[in-house]
Amino acid sequence: MELFDELTALGVNVDDGVNRLGGNEALYKKLLGTFVKTVKGYDIKPDFDSENYDDITEKAHAIKGIAGNLSITPVYEGYTQIVSLLRSKEPERAKDVLKKILPVQVEIMGCIEKHSG
Amino acid sequence: MEKEKTILIVDDMEINRIILAEIFKESYNIIQASDGNQAIEALNANSDISAVLLDLIMPGTDGLGVLRDMKKSGKIYSIPVFLITAEENEKMLIEGYHLGAVDVIRKPFMSHFLKHRISNIVELYGHRNDLAKVVEQQVARLNYLNQSMIEILATAVEFRDSESGEHVKRIAGMTKALMTEVSKRYPEYYMTVDEIDKISKSSVLHDVGKISIPDSILNKPGRLTPEEYEIMKQHTVKGYDFLMQFPDIIDESTYRYSCDICRYHHERWDGRGYPDGLKGDEIPIWAQVVSVADVYDALTAERVYKKPFSHEKAVDMIKNGECGIFNPKLLNAFEALIQMHGNPSDQER
Repeated sequence: MELFDELTALGVNVDDGVNRLGGNEALYKKLLGTFVKTVKGYDIKPDFDSENYDDITEKAHAIKGIAGNLSITPVYEGYTQIVSLLRSKEPERAKDVLKKILPVQVEIMGCIEKHSG
Repeated sequence: MEKEKTILIVDDMEINRIILAEIFKESYNIIQASDGNQAIEALNANSDISAVLLDLIMPGTDGLGVLRDMKKSGKIYSIPVFLITAEENEKMLIEGYHLGAVDVIRKPFMSHFLKHRISNIVELYGHRNDLAKVVEQQVARLNYLNQSMIEILATAVEFRDSESGEHVKRIAGMTKALMTEVSKRYPEYYMTVDEIDKISKSSVLHDVGKISIPDSILNKPGRLTPEEYEIMKQHTVKGYDFLMQFPDIIDESTYRYSCDICRYHHERWDGRGYPDGLKGDEIPIWAQVVSVADVYDALTAERVYKKPFSHEKAVDMIKNGECGIFNPKLLNAFEALIQMHGNPSDQER
């Protein structure tokens, strides 16, 4: 199965993402690769400090922004919730959402990496 | 097709910058900045930026920091700024609007709407900026024409006095140079460059009251009788009264300088001048400056009743009090000016 089909099956709104780039599929694919590198660099884990999490909020906010712009909808929706919970000082609930979204995120990123080689 | 307009995209996330660049690349030149400091540098280095797409949350100088800098430099009034945000941070957005941002772009971007919204605002700002330039040019032209009319009037008066009109121009040049020197040396007399320029322009009207003095007195080759001298002295008050009838011919501050200069340019520091016998700093400094310039020019110019004195002789006469007593600080500045530039009549207006 091609990358775009697989991503679509994983809930990514590929058409929307490509349209945002004026139909430039090659650029969309390139940006998916950049997305993987960026998110890996952030390395957010559910065991973050429940008292001091400003840094996590900033990272989650950044992931939300780029996931939204690439229409990686499940990740975007998950981090939208996480950011909102962190802003309203509910880190434990944010951790629960993170635990749920991480496997989906790993699967999507794995799919992108598999096709990037 | 060559693109005329440039957009500055500011976002710490490369993906967001690339997406925005892709959306706008057909219609605009693109400059990218990955943080607030880079954005400020780009704004300072490029005078042709038509819009800024500005991420609010960035490490280091954030979007609000960029807005504050733009407000300080005045750029916010000519360049529309769109705030980029992925969430509802009401406090930041309100502050952004207060600092002058025009609109908010939410992530994920909606390309079609974004293109239209930004192009509409850029066009609107373009018209507004063009209009502001036209108004500025028209105001400058009106001021120039106004000043020309004033100079024509002053020159016409000088012609009656057998002068070529060069006298008023020399007075304006000397007034500007001397006022600048006084302002530089003495904080109590400090004036901005703009105000000094207004004073210099106002000085051309100093003798406008001579229009009311009969030719027989104005052009008398010999010494004036005491009665004739009394009539001659009236040119200060007549000039002042004349100007008081036309408060709208020039802007408010220039008008005030003109009236003061007309009335007080024959007053002297020791109170022995005319028409009001003002003393010391009761005489406005601009009128004091014109007094010195006027006396120097009268001494060094040929008149129907006298030959010209040399520059050196004229300076000595002014310093020795032969033409009345002047403010010592003013004389210091006058002397410094002569040492720096020689003949003060050569000063450019």
